[in-house]
Amino acid sequence: MIRGRDYWKVNSRWKCNEMAKDNDRAKPSSRPVWSGSITIGLVNVPVKLYTMIHDQAFSFRLLHKDDGQPLRYERVCIKEDKVIDWKDTVKGYEIRKNEFIVFKKEELDAIRPESDERIRLDKFVSLLSIDPVFFDKSYILVPDRSEEAYSLMMTVIAQMGKAGMGKVTIRTKEYPVVVYEYKGSLILTTLRYAYEVVSPGDMEELSGLKKPGKKEMELAEKIIKDLSGEFDITEYRDGYKDRMEKLIETKMKGEVVVAQVPKKEEVKELMVALQETIERLRK
Amino acid sequence: MAAYSFINPFDNIIMMNDLTRVSFTNPEKILYPGLELKKSRVIEYYIRIAPRMLGFIKNRAIVMNRYPNGIDKDGFYEKDAPAGIPPWVETFNKYSEIAEREIKYIIANNLDTLIWMANLAAIEINITLSTIDNYETPDLVFFDIDPEPPCSFDNVIDIAFLLKEKLDELNFRSFVKTSGKKGLHVVLPIIKSYNFNQTREFVHQFGKFLARESDLVVSEFRNSQDPGTVFIDYLQNTPGKTMIAPYSLRAQPDAPVSTPLEWKELKKGLRPEEFNIFTVLKRKNDPWERLLESKQSLEV
Repeated sequence: MIRGRDYWKVNSRWKCNEMAKDNDRAKPSSRPVWSGSITIGLVNVPVKLYTMIHDQAFSFRLLHKDDGQPLRYERVCIKEDKVIDWKDTVKGYEIRKNEFIVFKKEELDAIRPESDERIRLDKFVSLLSIDPVFFDKSYILVPDRSEEAYSLMMTVIAQMGKAGMGKVTIRTKEYPVVVYEYKGSLILTTLRYAYEVVSPGDMEELSGLKKPGKKEMELAEKIIKDLSGEFDITEYRDGYKDRMEKLIETKMKGEVVVAQVPKKEEVKELMVALQETIERLRK
Repeated sequence: MAAYSFINPFDNIIMMNDLTRVSFTNPEKILYPGLELKKSRVIEYYIRIAPRMLGFIKNRAIVMNRYPNGIDKDGFYEKDAPAGIPPWVETFNKYSEIAEREIKYIIANNLDTLIWMANLAAIEINITLSTIDNYETPDLVFFDIDPEPPCSFDNVIDIAFLLKEKLDELNFRSFVKTSGKKGLHVVLPIIKSYNFNQTREFVHQFGKFLARESDLVVSEFRNSQDPGTVFIDYLQNTPGKTMIAPYSLRAQPDAPVSTPLEWKELKKGLRPEEFNIFTVLKRKNDPWERLLESKQSLEV
């Protein structure tokens, strides 16, 4: 199961990379991850949520060095040293090293947040006032047979430079979110909770910083001014990713059969039959 | 001998197969559910029968009958080479007036192509009655003895012998195989000097003759579905039409094989299912071994 999923991941990433190379853009998802409504008081705007961020990191499969076959992950009991079926597993929370509280599935399900298909916005703030350190993951919101309401909401918050603050439950997790306008679309960005973000004030090295002098400030300002420009993310490329893609392409061209040869019993039998037939055909 | 060669994974190719260019996919897929036969068994059958089969199907356009989800699910005919065909599979382009485009037929002149087809779940392999160097000129005359229930296989054997006697009388050397289903196939190898109109008419004439000799036999297509009759089907003797290849498996519950037989093996009580994926490989001789060397003139 792990194997199948990983394989898909590798392939879809590869396709994403191909797209990205052409126009510096990730490929849009074909299916929404969530659908529901933005609610502001009594106002509802039905929307669908599409993934906006595609992680483009390369991942490798671990293979057996001797025969090139993919390795499978297994759950091994450390006491009995034998493989345990999924059905024989429970979840444990480690309270101290090697001490666990055990949870039944029902217990965990009971306290899990329920997705009520709502993005509840209860406050509008200036978009620029949100510290970027809290931004986590962005999604594109598209209207779900609600074009007029969607357009109204997008236009008004864009004009006022505002972002709606609120919360949403996606799958089984509740997130703080901001909703704002970007390139003619409403964007939902999940935020980090305050307790997930380290406060710089807690760093000792920062407590005794001296105030810079006037002369130094003037010089530094000049340097910054000289280097000022527009934000353009496409100026940056992941050199490692480019080299990796090139390497993969070269290897694929060199008549490289990346053998996904299933080394199953069935195939072993076929190899025997093949050897015998090839012998006979030689005569 | 190692099945795979292995090269440093950080350097070049991960691994390649020494024995075949075919990568097997889903070998554990069940193709004959009644017998719980996996695709790997079908591939193995074709690997092992290849020495008998390859000479016969050589240079003939192939029509595959594929059953990727097993024989109890819908199969499909495939004349045109499927997308993603490996570069080493030979093809033969022929304009089809019916399809109004070029058909890219598969030619199986080597073991790998046969295995590749088996891996596509091409359980049934059909071949033309001519070779691609002379597509419009048949080198086989094909009598398809096709019974309609409640005719028995014994009836079919009787009719086949009636046909053989007549052919013998006229000094034709005939070869017989089971169709793998309910019928028998009689084949005459001929020199390449006739067209399909001539061979088709030749077979049709024999059908008419047998219809006069036996109440069971019908010679016309319109009667071919009449219950309790045996139709001498002459219609496959047409450019581009095919015959199930000798030693091809059939998509029937017992995994039967269209099996070349000696005439003397045809005895009452014989059941065509006796010749199947399990038994055919054990047969010592190939009664059709010299078929292609026995080319004859159709002149009487």
